[in-house]
This record gives sequence, structure tokens and C-alpha cells, in this order.
Amino acid sequence: MHDLALEGLKFIDLTWMNIGFLFVVGFVGGLVSGFIGSGGAFVLTPGMMSLGVPAAVAVASNMCHKFPKAMVGAYKRYKYGQVDLKLGLVMAASATVGVQAGIKIQEMILAKWGEAGSNLYVSLSFVTVLIIVGGYVFYDAWKTHKSGAGEQVSSLALRLQKINLPPMIHFKTAGLTISLWFTIPVGFATGMLAATIAVGGFVGVPGMIYVIGATGLISSATELVIAFLMGLGGSVKWAIHGMVDIRLTLIILAGSLLGVQLGAIGTTYVKEHMIKVVMGTIMIVVAVSRALAVPKYLEELGLVSMSKSTISILDLVSFLIMCLALAVGAVIILGSMWKGRLAAEPHAAPIVTESYEHV
Amino acid sequence: MTATHSATKKKPVVKTVVFGAITAALYAAVFSHADSILQLFTKGGYYAALPIATVFVFSFAHGAFASNLWSMLGIEAITKQPAKRPEVRPVPRPAQRPRPRVRLSV
Repeated sequence: MHDLALEGLKFIDLTWMNIGFLFVVGFVGGLVSGFIGSGGAFVLTPGMMSLGVPAAVAVASNMCHKFPKAMVGAYKRYKYGQVDLKLGLVMAASATVGVQAGIKIQEMILAKWGEAGSNLYVSLSFVTVLIIVGGYVFYDAWKTHKSGAGEQVSSLALRLQKINLPPMIHFKTAGLTISLWFTIPVGFATGMLAATIAVGGFVGVPGMIYVIGATGLISSATELVIAFLMGLGGSVKWAIHGMVDIRLTLIILAGSLLGVQLGAIGTTYVKEHMIKVVMGTIMIVVAVSRALAVPKYLEELGLVSMSKSTISILDLVSFLIMCLALAVGAVIILGSMWKGRLAAEPHAAPIVTESYEHV
Repeated sequence: MTATHSATKKKPVVKTVVFGAITAALYAAVFSHADSILQLFTKGGYYAALPIATVFVFSFAHGAFASNLWSMLGIEAITKQPAKRPEVRPVPRPAQRPRPRVRLSV
């Protein structure tokens, strides 16, 4: 099959600068993903586009690196007993439906309000979801840190778990039993957000924590299973249309496979609420970044008037803040890993030798 | 990770070197023929299997290298089982009472 979209499609020439940028962002994105279950994609796609990569190729190449990264991260965290495979599969099934719904909404908006309208919808979704969910995740982490007690199951999850609505599913690793009907909306919302802002984990992980009642550690690890399955499906679709630039994918993968394993190891060093701290912080900073992109789309829709120079400055600041989000996340992870390592030093016992023959 | 551990456990130097060499060879193979590979891999259709299979192969080699590299550098997970929460049992539904039946003989 030869895709017409490929006609005139431009694959960029690689320079050492481009390679270095992709490798570093891949590493940092991998570190964050290994730790909180998602992240990195929101910087990589616009980052690649700023290097001159066409949008479709950037999305496709990014997705093609995302699923093997998630697979390696999930495998690593499965070895640490943090992955609930059944929960991941159930969530991924409903997320697939959510993705289709998300795409349909995007298509409707695109047909009615054009590209600027679609971009505005994406940015507003980013800002709204990330501020509300990210703000709550951060508040909850702060509360846990202040009280000094361990993570508590949310009252909503406790209430839902008590409702006997068949089919009830027992999730062994997560240590909970809940009706399938309560997992479906969480998976659906994860898929819809993945189709809208490309980071479904920003709803998937908090959803598993606050609605289903899994711990932050289990939720972030299980999110990697969802990311793998959804990423694999998406990559196959993009590859069928010939959009994957394998060079870009492999450069990002070179960094991200190092990062994702470090992030996964990091989860065993830190207190559980640190996952929420990192996730909440990144979500709030990304929300600020996307909020700065909103005036540009309002201007394109003719709703406000702004000078070109102001818009380009806002664009640049927005991208830099997005990079900052990832960098801040990485600093918190590495800092807390360092602290955890020092604290565990006298009596730490490493997990038995790991072999990656079956990665 | 710890000094005690380092003393007792052998660092996976050989594995790191072997998987590192395999990874380097794979990257060299792709990037020395980047243009022709890119052309082949973006043909679409059944050729979609090529980029997907490639990333799986690279994940195996590079994933193993990365894992051994961190171990060699002394960065390994510490034993910590995820905290188990007391499970909440769903409230059983009240047993249904038998409904009264009315029979009508015509």
C-alpha cells in the first residue's frame, strides 16, 4: 500500500545537535515515564516539530518509541511486583474505545472550526484537566507528606468497592475487588485524553488511584501496560501509512530505555507519595505552558487581536515551560532517589539478579 | 547498591559489554544505511512490520544493555514490597424473597 500522504513528505536531515536533543529529551522523558507511568510525549512531539519534522511524522515516530519504552518499563516494574496485569488489560480495553470517541470528537471540531479550533480545544482540554486533576493529585501528596501517614484509599474508591454490581473483578496485585462497570469510565477517559492530548496517563493514573483505589505505585506501573498496548496499536496504524521515521524513533529509544529503567528503579527508593508529587508538579507546569498557547489560537479564530511578535514570544515561552516541566520532574525524581538511597544504605538489600533475556 | 552488596555480588561487566556491542552494531547497521532503510520502512502497508519488528529487536538488545549498565554502576532496586491495603469486601445483596404467584384456572 502506498499512501498519498507520503507524496512530498519530508524526512529531516539529522545533525549532531538534533541527535543530542532527541537523546536527552528521550532520556528525561523515559525517566519520568518509568517513575510515574507516562510523560515525555508532550515535549517530544512539539520538540521534533520545532526541528522541522512534519506533525504526522513527529506523532508517529514518538508513538513508535513510546510502546517499546513502556514495555521495558512495565517488565521492569512487573519484576518488582508493582504491575497489576489484569487491571492493565481491563483498562486498555476500555481505553481503546475512548481513543475512538476522542478521535471522533476531534474530527467533529476540526470539521466545524478548522485547525485553530481543534488546537484551541486541545489546549483548553490540557489546561482544564491538568489544573483540576494535577492540582488534586498535588494537594493529596502534600496532605500525605504532612500527616506522615501512608497513602490512604480515597473515600470514593472505598464506596465504589462496596457496591456489588456484577461482574465483580478481583485485582490481585492491587489487592482490591471492584465492579467492572467502575473501571470502564476510567479506561474510557484515559483513552479519550490520550486521543486529545497524547498523554492518557494524566487521567489514567489518578483514575486508578482515586476511583478504583489502587496505590500510586501500582497505578503508575499498571499505566505502563496500558501505554504499551495502546502505543503498539497506534504505531501499527501509523506504520501502515508509512509515517514512522525509524531514525528518530531509534535515537529517542536510545535515551529513553536508559531513562525508563532508572525511573523504574527509582520507585523502589522513594516514599509512595513521591509519585503523586512528581505527577502533580508536572501536570501543573504543563497546564501553565498550554495556557500560554491559548491566545495564539484565539487570535487565529479572530476572537482576539495580537501582534505576531507577542504570539511568537508566547509560543517560545510555552515550549520552554514544557521542557521545564520535564526537567523539574527529573530533578525531583533524581533528588528523591538520592535521598532514598542514602536512607536505605545501611540495610538495603538489592533485588535478586535480573536478567533481561526476555525483554 | 551497597558496599556489602558490591563485595558479594559480581558486577555484570561481561553482559554489559556483550549487549552494548550488540546494541552498537545494530545502531551502526541502521545508520550506515539510513536512507535506504528509511525508504523501505515508509512504504506503508505490509512494510509496517519492519519498523515495529525493529523497535522490538532494539528494545531487547538495548534494554538488556541498559539494565546491566545500571547494575554495573551499582544502581539497583532495593527490596520493598508494595504496601498491601486491607481489602474492602462488597456488601452482599439481600437474598431475593420468593414472589407470590397467582394461578388462574379458566
